Amino acid sequence: MTHKKLFYGGGAVVLAAVALAALGGYWLVQGPKIIDRDLRGLDGDVNRGAYVARLSGCIACHTDIKAGGKVLAGGAKISTDFGSFYPPNITPDPVDGIGDWDLVDFSRALTSGVSPNGQHLFPSFPYTFYAQMKNQDIVDLWAAVRSVPPVKGKPPKHGLRFPFGSHEGVAVWQRMFFERKPLKEISEKSKAWNRGRYLANGPAHCGACHTPRNLLGGRKTKQQYEGGKGPGGEKIPAITIEALKAGKWSKDDLIYAMRTGVKPDGDVFGGSMGEVVSDATRFWSDQDLDAIATYIMSDNIMYPAASKKEDALVYD
Amino acid sequence: MRRLTKVALVAISLSMLVNVNANAHGGATGVVKERMTIMETLGKSLKELTAMMRGKTTYEPERVRQIARQMSSHGGDSMTKLFPKDSLDKPSEARPNIWTQWGKFEGLASQLTSYAKALEKSANNKSGASTSGGMPQVQGMMNNSGMMTNMPEADPELLANMPPDAAYIHITQTCGSCHEGFRKPKK
Repeated sequence: MTHKKLFYGGGAVVLAAVALAALGGYWLVQGPKIIDRDLRGLDGDVNRGAYVARLSGCIACHTDIKAGGKVLAGGAKISTDFGSFYPPNITPDPVDGIGDWDLVDFSRALTSGVSPNGQHLFPSFPYTFYAQMKNQDIVDLWAAVRSVPPVKGKPPKHGLRFPFGSHEGVAVWQRMFFERKPLKEISEKSKAWNRGRYLANGPAHCGACHTPRNLLGGRKTKQQYEGGKGPGGEKIPAITIEALKAGKWSKDDLIYAMRTGVKPDGDVFGGSMGEVVSDATRFWSDQDLDAIATYIMSDNIMYPAASKKEDALVYD
Repeated sequence: MRRLTKVALVAISLSMLVNVNANAHGGATGVVKERMTIMETLGKSLKELTAMMRGKTTYEPERVRQIARQMSSHGGDSMTKLFPKDSLDKPSEARPNIWTQWGKFEGLASQLTSYAKALEKSANNKSGASTSGGMPQVQGMMNNSGMMTNMPEADPELLANMPPDAAYIHITQTCGSCHEGFRKPKK
């Protein structure tokens, strides 16, 4: 009798443990909470959106510029430690592009890293940065993305090494590394500094390459801008104020290099920063280049976020 | 004896210095060394030119012409002949696609010469101090025509009649396009 009790009792404990583990696993692969933006009442502007696309590098990544590919019809291969990524066709083609998406789908992919069919998107798509984007920028960007001609055909499937090819794995990754802290204006800082902070930590996603990553590809956020690894194993330099000062960079040099590609030593960027300049920052307004340089050259880029509470996020 | 030690120390230090100099291009030899030296010269010229274009130093048309002539002499065939097929000996930073995309490489090399010649001709067209530092405003529209790749190729004859900033910017873009396509990223 006692044995029987023990047997059933033990069984129940094992069952409970298995159920708990299953639930835990299920919880993990659900990924973090999706926070949808309230974009009602906002009108998108195609021209402003085209500019937002330049701020955020959409064209640089989703267009195979060197091979003469059509705009946003899919980008060139990105080689990483986890395998090769091929940025998808995001033209309005309903089959090969994202023609059947709506603004809510787009905004969710951009700021939560989840596709309309619920798949967790690989973080080579820098949604961990785009999660900071302002509502109006998202709506404008959507208008611009909708405005390009639809293109048939898509790039090859990602070639990722086991176990990195699993979308469930990405959900777990998102739980571990996808932090969403709002960037509220810091009133004691200048307008330019606040704008620069938004650009660097949001659309321009500087930290995607300039901040080192751990073995699982999570950013070491405490080592912001201390230098990392770019596509193809390229060594990416530090852009902390200390590193820039040591390299004799001034704020003006930074602005000039982002506009023209010419560095203070007379060299001209190649590599991935060359692409960033020729497909993105070259098109930025003087104000925005000034803003990002103001922020990068300030000695407190790690200024703490105003709030950690996700529900209180304000993206106006 | 002490004197001998001193002499020996000086000799060692000197030989180290010489070594450092020899290693400025990491032990490059032959054509690789030759082209790395020329790239360095071009970089120095661009640095000087940039300082004038940005208004950091006084703009001197005669000096601009000298630099432009020097740059144009290093473009075209003078550049491409420094890249014989598969010359990738260390510490070369060249990428092998130079030889699979030879036409593009050749095109960029000859662009350097034609834009540098345009700069030489336009050196006198500078009017007053440049406030924008010669920075062009390129606002792109999201269409499928001109805005997505590098600036459309400009006619050097037209550039020659514009302020020198225009030819200068085209030179920098030529350098950038070539580095992006054909120079190894840092590892």
